[in-house]
Amino acid sequence: MEKGTDRVHPTASTYAIMLLAWRRFNPESDTPVHLSDLPNPTTLLSNLIERDISPTAVVADRVLASSEEASEIIKLLSKSAVDLNHPRILAELGQAEFLGSHVPDPLEGVPEVKPVLRLAVQTLDENGNVIPAQSEEEVPFNLDNLRKHLAQVTLARRVLPEDLASRQKLLEESVYDVAVERLRHEAKLFDELGLGNRELHHADLQKWMWDWHQKLKTRLEAEIKEIIVAEAKICKHIRACQTFLATSNQVQRMGPFLSLVKPEKLSLITILEIMRLQGSGGVSDGMKTARALLTVGRAVENEYKAEMCKRNHIAIPSHARPGEFTGYFTGLGYKDLHARRMTAAKYMEDSEEWTSEWTQVLRVRVGSILVDCLMDSATIERTAVDKRTNEEIKENQPAFYHAYEYVRGQKLGVIRLNPVVSERIAKDGLRETLHPRHLPMLVKPKPWLNHDRGGYLYNRSAAMRFKDCQEQQTYLEHATSLGNVELVYAGLDVLGSTPWKINRNIFDIVLKVWNSGERLCKIPPAAYDQPEPEKPLNMNTDIKAKSVYGARLKAFMQDKANNHSDRCSVNYKIEIARAFLGDTMYLPHNLDFRGRAYPIPPHFNHIGDDLSRGLLMFGEAQPLGEQGLRWLKIHLANLYGFDKGNFDERVKFVMDHLEDVYDSAEKPLDGNRWWTKADDPWQCLATCMELHAALESGDPHAYMSSLPVHQDGTCNGLQHYAALGGDVKGAAQVNLSVTDRPSDVYTYVANMVEKVLEEDLKNGDKYAAMLSGRVSRKVVKQTVMTTVYGVTYIGAREQIERQLKDRKDIPEEECWGASAYLAKRVLVCIGDLFSGAKAIQTWLNLCARLISKSIPAERVPDALQAPKGRKKNGSSLPKNRIRKEQMSSVVWTTPLGLPIIQPYRKTKRKQVMTSIQSVFISDPNAPAEVNAVKQASAFPPNFIHSLDATHMMLTALECRTQGLTFASVHDSYWTHASSIDKMSEIIRDTFIALHSSDVLEKLATEFRTRYASHKIPPDIASQRKLLKNLQAAGVRIVASSEQANALRLGGFDNIMDPTQTETPKPKTGKRGRPMKNVVMIECAQNDVSAVMDHEEGDDDCAGEDDVDSILVDKFVDLSAILPPLPKKGDFDVETIKQSQYFFS
Amino acid sequence: MAFKSRISIANPETAALVADSFVPSGSRDKVIVEAYPGPGALTRALMQLPKERIRKIIVLEDVEQYLNFLNPLQEADPRVQVLPMNGFSWDTYHQLDVQGFLDDVENIPWNQSNPYLHFISHLPMDVLGEQLLAQLLRCAPEQSWLFKYGRISMSYLMHDWVWDRISASPEHQARCKLSVIAQAVSEFNHTIDPQLLVPYNSHFYPDATNPAYSLKTENRRRGTPFIAGTFRPLEHQIIQPGMLDKWDYCLRKLFVLKSTPLKDAVGHLAPGSDALKSYLAGDDVPPDQRTDMMKSIRKMSVEDWAAVVGAFDRWPFAPEELLITDSFSRDDRI
Repeated sequence: MEKGTDRVHPTASTYAIMLLAWRRFNPESDTPVHLSDLPNPTTLLSNLIERDISPTAVVADRVLASSEEASEIIKLLSKSAVDLNHPRILAELGQAEFLGSHVPDPLEGVPEVKPVLRLAVQTLDENGNVIPAQSEEEVPFNLDNLRKHLAQVTLARRVLPEDLASRQKLLEESVYDVAVERLRHEAKLFDELGLGNRELHHADLQKWMWDWHQKLKTRLEAEIKEIIVAEAKICKHIRACQTFLATSNQVQRMGPFLSLVKPEKLSLITILEIMRLQGSGGVSDGMKTARALLTVGRAVENEYKAEMCKRNHIAIPSHARPGEFTGYFTGLGYKDLHARRMTAAKYMEDSEEWTSEWTQVLRVRVGSILVDCLMDSATIERTAVDKRTNEEIKENQPAFYHAYEYVRGQKLGVIRLNPVVSERIAKDGLRETLHPRHLPMLVKPKPWLNHDRGGYLYNRSAAMRFKDCQEQQTYLEHATSLGNVELVYAGLDVLGSTPWKINRNIFDIVLKVWNSGERLCKIPPAAYDQPEPEKPLNMNTDIKAKSVYGARLKAFMQDKANNHSDRCSVNYKIEIARAFLGDTMYLPHNLDFRGRAYPIPPHFNHIGDDLSRGLLMFGEAQPLGEQGLRWLKIHLANLYGFDKGNFDERVKFVMDHLEDVYDSAEKPLDGNRWWTKADDPWQCLATCMELHAALESGDPHAYMSSLPVHQDGTCNGLQHYAALGGDVKGAAQVNLSVTDRPSDVYTYVANMVEKVLEEDLKNGDKYAAMLSGRVSRKVVKQTVMTTVYGVTYIGAREQIERQLKDRKDIPEEECWGASAYLAKRVLVCIGDLFSGAKAIQTWLNLCARLISKSIPAERVPDALQAPKGRKKNGSSLPKNRIRKEQMSSVVWTTPLGLPIIQPYRKTKRKQVMTSIQSVFISDPNAPAEVNAVKQASAFPPNFIHSLDATHMMLTALECRTQGLTFASVHDSYWTHASSIDKMSEIIRDTFIALHSSDVLEKLATEFRTRYASHKIPPDIASQRKLLKNLQAAGVRIVASSEQANALRLGGFDNIMDPTQTETPKPKTGKRGRPMKNVVMIECAQNDVSAVMDHEEGDDDCAGEDDVDSILVDKFVDLSAILPPLPKKGDFDVETIKQSQYFFS
Repeated sequence: MAFKSRISIANPETAALVADSFVPSGSRDKVIVEAYPGPGALTRALMQLPKERIRKIIVLEDVEQYLNFLNPLQEADPRVQVLPMNGFSWDTYHQLDVQGFLDDVENIPWNQSNPYLHFISHLPMDVLGEQLLAQLLRCAPEQSWLFKYGRISMSYLMHDWVWDRISASPEHQARCKLSVIAQAVSEFNHTIDPQLLVPYNSHFYPDATNPAYSLKTENRRRGTPFIAGTFRPLEHQIIQPGMLDKWDYCLRKLFVLKSTPLKDAVGHLAPGSDALKSYLAGDDVPPDQRTDMMKSIRKMSVEDWAAVVGAFDRWPFAPEELLITDSFSRDDRI
């Protein structure tokens, strides 16, 4: 009958019966009936839609006896609706379900988040009557959109409470589809309200965007057609000319790429991306042109790919582990891991359509066509009062305009927003438009199968974040296919599968504060509450007063802008938290290029600020136990800022303040607000509440706690250095050795600096007087921490300036000078405090320096060729291409097998002419020489980061094996209070395991193998500073007397002459590694002379010509010249097992 | 300011020539404010001029090495006052007022030039040197800084490279913001034949760097020829008081597009600034007052600029906050 062959029209009842039949007798039900032609709900639903029968009518049909059956059928249909991409049907079903629903909704009774105090404009109709606005307070557009998008999540929860995968799919549905619907809907609404009347119409962002979209859509349709026609002509022309001209001057055709995505979507992508970018790159009310074009181009590319992905219904492989899981660290377990990932990856690859990456140039070209059309067609109306006539004047102005600015002498093109638009945005808070890629997940993330498959179900995400570096991707792909990085992928899966939920208690307080619009604990006020600097009366005559005023005004405007952007970002956090209130959620992770793990959702995650962390708690609870209760207290003391005492003192601190803790927990806003004075107030409040609840529960030890408790490394970078070098003194400073009190490096340095200031004060130094007594631990902390990562004076000054500004007791215009003064003093004080780390840093630095200078042996003949091309300015050409051939970047493998490649190169930027401006972009595929300075200076910190990342991954895997919940923020490891003791043990074990494998020795061996055939060009002899450093590091070179002379001229003395010692005995280093002999290679072309290179900063420039001409063409083996490892100290890493404060 | 960018005249004979050209015969009872004297060769030459020409020399120098050579001058001649202060800092001039060093200087109405007060300086070679000159010139329209005493002269020893930029005519490649401002507020000329100051090494200290060993561009390298010149503020200032910020804004924004015709460049001035076209050359503007919109930015005369700034001032949509439009200060996140 349903087929319509029986000439009877099926009704709602027909379908109700059929669905009921399916429910009762489907193949997976308790009473399966095997009928080959039993139609499944999906087929039924599509027929339903075809016949225009309302699904509500079906569900409400009397055929269904029980409400249980009805709701079952709603679920069946909803599932099908998701599969068929019918949000409308889904919404309808949701409504139906809601009407008859008795299930309590976790969101019920939660007040709405009040984003911005904006009263809806009362509108008058033609007769002058007030038309009631939709509501008293309008929700600004972007949040409105987000809220509605999130409402779909909430809605889906009503209908599909169990089927999380379907909900996740709904969530990841293309934002652009959703956005178009929204805009259309809003515009219609406005029209219905009679807002078409120009006089009464108050400009509104939504309305504007809809207008732009309409114009741009039409414009693009025409434009793309024109382009296709024009390109067809050119191609014909070229073909016709080809017989005469054999030029390969191919014109890249844009038409095909612009036709991939419908104009309607292109238009929306352009508008949303441009709006999202405003304020990025440090441009207030605007963006850098190059970035805008690239982003729009990439968004089009992504949209195209997402469509492909969705169209193909790529299945989700399950996350379940087989029963006989043997652990991560056994050979069998590893093989198993590899095999399973490979199978899954293969499956995915087969089902995905092949899509190749777009080139940067292509992205820019696509972007420029779209953005240019937008700038041309988007206009707004602006009114102003003529100062002379007091007349009101209206002008139609472009919504976006292009301008050039000078930034540190560089001309930079920017796209700016018309002030009217940016003013509107300031009110509405459309700072970022939300993409599902930016939200947490409802299901466990897809396990990582490959370098670009994992995490989100339908959106492609990369396992490693790199900025246009083909090299890194190739290495990672290769290592993946060899099966070397299984543990890293497994580690990411562990981090992603940690369940989280929103801390409802904190959420309620945050919401209350937010809606009040007050400033409290890093929640910025709704209206900026600082006074504007006063304009001095004598500004035009007194130049000094004017410049001071200028500095203060600038700072004020900056702070105001920052307040606004803070407000927006907090707004997002609260909105997202609200949407996920009733859910367990997951944060998919990926890596940066050094292997450190980060959650992918950027707005709301546990790596975020204190507020985000306070809002999050583990999705599962564990009974506290006696130790757990103690750790909860210690955690509270740490969060409050009392982390210098030993553990007993910290517990005592909390017990002494128990009254405050209770007051904070019971009356967070109306009490004494003790928690607001904590270092991390929101996390402190969360812990107060947890402790209060535990103590009041009657049996604190049995209290089910889900609050994450942290264990932080004390200056983790230095800990790794100390362990690497076996440095006893360093180990004591960073709590690697056994003490009864934690030692604090920061306080130590702060005190040292204060002493220096006292000295300067005696000499009457202005800044010493200004700063004396104000150098707190906090002021120097960041600088001390980053010294080990090679912070420069410039960086240190900026860090200190930020801290001084925060203190607010130094006048704005003095901050620069004061920070410059203080940074110098701090750096001097740090100086030799960390001498142990220094030796390793130097070794790492020298290795990187040499590697970046080296050339593979097979390229040496090419390097000695004369360079191609001609220099324009007439200066003499270098006689060979050695410089150009120095392309080896530093590559190493972490103990977990992850290859790490430093991406620093002197990228050549390519000029692309677009209709807006010419844009310079780098081509990641073009070979480019390395940036030797950056390679060398960044290597020590990157290497240490790769180690701490390894330590974290090892800990994550081991925690999973032992059944602990685990999360981490780089060197801060989180678990349940009750598991802290177990995790502490694991942290120490993994640290020992990591460092007992003699990491540096392995690194040295890897370098010698990887760069075995690499040669250092002879111009090294002209770099006296490098030679001097090499000699200081203990490099010995074997050379003939002639070569030795040349080297000596370069200032290098540590040479053995093979003519004197016939067979030089291999020197044995401290670590039992023989020093290799130096092989000097003779090259054929003896008449070629090397170019001199003068590195900036080398103070000696004259007089190397002689050295060069002698050493010419004589390349040195890289492996032979690598410096020996610094001598390892006596510190035994096993000691840390007993160290209480190593991580605390 | 970096010590290494300081260049001073060293040859006493040349210094005498320069001093005489700055304070020529006929000068009476001058009060000289000298900034960046260096070791003081020029100061000495000024002291040796006939005494009736100069009644006081205030020397501003805060580099210790130089002060060792300058302090004895103060002891030798009561007319000399050495102050350990930096000529670049506004505070220095504020202090001159507060401490009364200029109390005896006559205030002369703007329609006559002030024959007494005279500012003399070596212009440091780095970017701050240029900034100093640009800022001092900008004080003339507002009659602030030393110009509150009237139209005083300023004499400089400076790179001929800077001089070329200042004096560049609309036809010249080097025409820039500085040229427009300098020509709008003052008239200026060489005081001695530049040929008398070359070769560099026989007149100046420290010695020139060998270009072969320097990575610096020509304009930042020691050894580029110096010139001596004097600036005298114009009586009729085309930049009205209070308009300086607008001049600066228009110049800064438009000179980015220095070879673009005004008609295309004007749209980059501010959002919607294409509308200025009708203010400058619309049908309701009398034909003889219309601005030539086809001129490229570099080729615009001071009068053309006055027209653009005037239109900008009348335009109701002109941005208000001109001081802080180039706001690239937040750090580059995400």
